[in-house]
Amino acid sequence: MSYFRQTRSSRPALALSAVTLIVLLYFFLGPSVDVSSTLDPLLRARKSAAAASNPLSPPTSAFRKSRSSPGDAQQPLAPPPIVHYQLNNLTASSNPIKNNEKVLVLTPLARFYDEYWANLCALAYPHEHISLGFITPKTPQGNEATKQLQEAVNAYQKGPLSQRFESVTFLRQDFEPAIVSQDEKERHKMANQASRRASMAKARNSLLFTTMGPTTSWVLWLDGDIIETPETLVQDLTSFDKSIIVPNCFQRYSTDDGKNAIRPYDYNSWRDSDTAHELASKMGNDEILLEGYAEMPTYRTLMAMLAETDDNSDKRRLMPLDGVGGTALLVKADVHRDGAMFPPFSFYHLIETEGFAKMARRLGYESWGLPNYFVYHYNE
Amino acid sequence: MNRHGAYTNGYPASWRKDDDPYDPEGRNGPWIGNKEDIIDDEKDSWDHKWKGQRHPQSSRRKLFRNLGILAVAAILLFWFMSPTDSISWSSDSALAIELDEIETVRYYDLEDVQGSKHGWDREERVLLCTPLRDASMHLNMFFSHLRNLTYPHHLIDLAFLVSDSKDDTEENLQRHLEQLQNDPQAGMAYGEISIIHKDFGQAVGQDVESRHGFTAQAPRRKLMARARNWLLSASLRPTHSWVYWRDADVETCPFTVIEDLMAHDKDVIVPNVWRPLPDWLGGEQPYDLNSWQESETALGLAETLDEDAVIVEGYAEYATWRPHLAYLRDPYGDPDVEMELDGVGGVSILAKARVFRAGVHFPAFSFERHAETEGFGKMAKRMQYSVVGLPHYTIWHLYEPSVDDLKHMAEMEKEKQDREKQEADEKERMKKVKEEFKDISDQWSKDKQALQEEENQELQEKLQKVRDRAKPKDAEKN
Repeated sequence: MSYFRQTRSSRPALALSAVTLIVLLYFFLGPSVDVSSTLDPLLRARKSAAAASNPLSPPTSAFRKSRSSPGDAQQPLAPPPIVHYQLNNLTASSNPIKNNEKVLVLTPLARFYDEYWANLCALAYPHEHISLGFITPKTPQGNEATKQLQEAVNAYQKGPLSQRFESVTFLRQDFEPAIVSQDEKERHKMANQASRRASMAKARNSLLFTTMGPTTSWVLWLDGDIIETPETLVQDLTSFDKSIIVPNCFQRYSTDDGKNAIRPYDYNSWRDSDTAHELASKMGNDEILLEGYAEMPTYRTLMAMLAETDDNSDKRRLMPLDGVGGTALLVKADVHRDGAMFPPFSFYHLIETEGFAKMARRLGYESWGLPNYFVYHYNE
Repeated sequence: MNRHGAYTNGYPASWRKDDDPYDPEGRNGPWIGNKEDIIDDEKDSWDHKWKGQRHPQSSRRKLFRNLGILAVAAILLFWFMSPTDSISWSSDSALAIELDEIETVRYYDLEDVQGSKHGWDREERVLLCTPLRDASMHLNMFFSHLRNLTYPHHLIDLAFLVSDSKDDTEENLQRHLEQLQNDPQAGMAYGEISIIHKDFGQAVGQDVESRHGFTAQAPRRKLMARARNWLLSASLRPTHSWVYWRDADVETCPFTVIEDLMAHDKDVIVPNVWRPLPDWLGGEQPYDLNSWQESETALGLAETLDEDAVIVEGYAEYATWRPHLAYLRDPYGDPDVEMELDGVGGVSILAKARVFRAGVHFPAFSFERHAETEGFGKMAKRMQYSVVGLPHYTIWHLYEPSVDDLKHMAEMEKEKQDREKQEADEKERMKKVKEEFKDISDQWSKDKQALQEEENQELQEKLQKVRDRAKPKDAEKN
C-alpha cells in the first residue's frame, strides 16, 4: 500500500519547522535584539560615528571602551585625540528633529518612580539624540533610588538599538542635602524652603555644568516626580522656539467622592507684581521671596492659576514669565552657556529656578509659559 | 443532514455490493462519505486526487535543498541578530561596528573630585582653559610652557576657545597640539583635548589701545565673560577636581605653578601678575589690576551706579581706593604669603572644580557692578568660597607696548636717529672740509724756509759786507 506512506519532506512540515526555528532563535537570542533596528546600517553607522573614541570625552556622547585584554595592558594607550567642536554651527531651532539637535534631559533625583522612567522612555523625540543626566544625593534613600534607576537604565540600554538613549550619566552629589526628610509637609515648610532650594540649586548646577557637552542644543529639566507628560513633549516645547519655556505642572488626585481630578502643583512660574517688588525692596541682602505661602502674599500672577482645564482650551497659549518652576523646563543650551545658572543664593531676592529666570533676563533672555499645556506631578 | 447514511439498525444505507465497479476515490461509490454525502462547499477540500508517487530520489533532493535554504537562513539570522555583532558584515569599516564596545552609561561620584592640596598624588584631574583670539604669535611661547609644566600631563585636560580669529591661530594650534600629543618623550602627551570654535563678534577691536580704553571696558568684559563661560561649560567634566585658567600671553612662569597654587588648598587662588618693561619705563610694572580687596569707597560707589554699570579697576574714572594685589609685591617677600581678595584677574586662576560646579561663573552681566573675572571673584565670595591672592609669587605677562609707549618709543627712536644723523653729518662735513681745503702748511714751511734762507743769505751778505769793509781798514793800518 505504498500510496498511503507519508513522504518525509512534505512542504507544510518544512515550512512549519522553519517558522519554529526562527521563532526559537528569536526567543533564544532574547528580547534584547530588535531585528529592524539592528538591520539598519545607517543607524549603526550614526551610532558608531557619534561615539567618542576615548573615555575622556563629553558625557553627552557614548564612548568606545578601552580594550582591557592582558596583551594591551603592556602597551601604553594612545594619547586622546584632538577634537574640534564647531559651536558656530550649533542650532536650537523650532524643527529640532530635522536639524539633528541634541537634547540633554537633566533630572535631580531623590526617589525613583517607575512611572517617571516609563514616561521618559516613551518620549517620541529620537532617542539617539537624547542624553540623560541624573544627580542623586548620597543618602540611604538616594542610594536606593540610584540602584533602582541604574537597573532600569542598564536594562533599557541593552534593548532595541533604535530605542537606546545616546548616553546616560549618573552623578552622586558632593554636598549634604539641606534636610534629610523628604516628607512633603516638612519639605514645603517655609523655613526649610530657602536651604532646601539652595541645595537643590547646587545639585542642578553640578548636574548642568558637568554634563552639558559641546553638542547639546536643548536642555530639558524634568524632575524625578514628573510621571506623565505628552509623548511629544520635546517637539511641542521646541516648536515655540523660545529660549526658556515652561509647561504647567499639575497633579492628578481623587476627590472625596472618588472622582479623578487635576489641581495645580508648581507655583514657581509667575509674572511679577508691584507688591512683590515692594516686598523685595524692604528685604535684607540674603533674604528671599517665596511663592505659594500665605505668610508672604506677593500678589504675583501665577501661571498655575491661569490654566484652562477643559479639553477645548488652546494648548499653544503663551504667556511671558518672570519666574519659572523647574519641574519641567526647556532651555536653549546657549542660555546656560552664557552663564545663566540656578543661583544657590539670594539673587534679586530670588533663588534656584526663579533666580535662574532673573539671571537669564539679565543676560537678555526671556521666559515663557504654556498655561494650558500640562505635565503631571506624582501625588504623594 | 445524515452524512453517514446509516439506518438505525447500524447497517449502512447504501451497502457496497461486491459487484460494484472499483472506484478508488469512492466518488461515485456508495461508500460512507462518498460524494453525494458531502455538501457542495466541502467538495473541493475532499478532492484528494492521488497524483502518483513521487520519485523517492527527487523528493530527497528537495529535502536537502530545503534544509540547505533553512540552514542559510538560520546562519543569516544568527549573523544579524547576534548580540556580539562580532562579524563585520560590510567592507566599509565605518559600518563594522562592534556595538558592545560602545559604552553609553557613565557613573561619577562628585565627592571624589573635591580637590586637595596633594592633587598630583591623588591623581586629581585638572582642566586647563585657554581662550584664544588672534593669538597665533603667542602659541610658540605658550606651548613651550605646556611642555615644561611639571604637573603630570596625562592628568591635565586642555580646552581652547578659538574665537573671531583672522590669523592662523587654528592651524597653528592644531600643529602644536599634534606635535605635543605625538611627542616620543613619555609623559608629554596631555589628556582630553577640546578645541571649541565659537565667534562672538567683536564689541571692540582687539588692538591694545581700544582693548584697554575705559569706555570699551564694560562691553568688552561682558563679551570676554561669555567666551569664558562657553569654554568652561563645554569642557568641564565630572572627572575634574581643578580648573586652571591661563592666558596664552604669559611670558615667564614657574613650571610648578599648578602644584604651587594647589598647595594652598584654596577654592580660588591667583598669583601676582607683572610685566617686564623696557629700561626707559622703569624695567617692570604691575600688570593685572583686577585682583583686589573690596573697599568701602568702592562699595559706596557701586551703590550710586546704574544696574548695568561695570566698575573696572585701574582707570581714573572709578577711584575705588582698593588695595591691589599687584602693588603689594615685594620681590624678596615670602611667595607663600596669602591675601584675601574679592575680585580676581584672569591671567592665571586656579580654582577647585566644585566652585564652577556649584554655579560660580564669569558674569556676562553686571553682577554687583562687576563683570567677568572680577564678577567671578565676587560671586565665589557670595557663595562662601575662599578667594586668595599671592602677592609675592609672581608670573610675568608678555610686554605689549601701549600706544603711548609706542609713541614714546617712536619719539625715542626718532631722537636716536636724529642724533646719529647729526653725528654722521658732522663727520661728513669734516671730511668735506678736509677734502676741499688743501693743507698748505708744507708750502708755508717751504716758503718759511725759503724766506729764512733768503734772510740768512741777506744776513750772510750783510756780514760779508761788514767783513769786507773791515778788511781795508786793517790793511791801511798795516
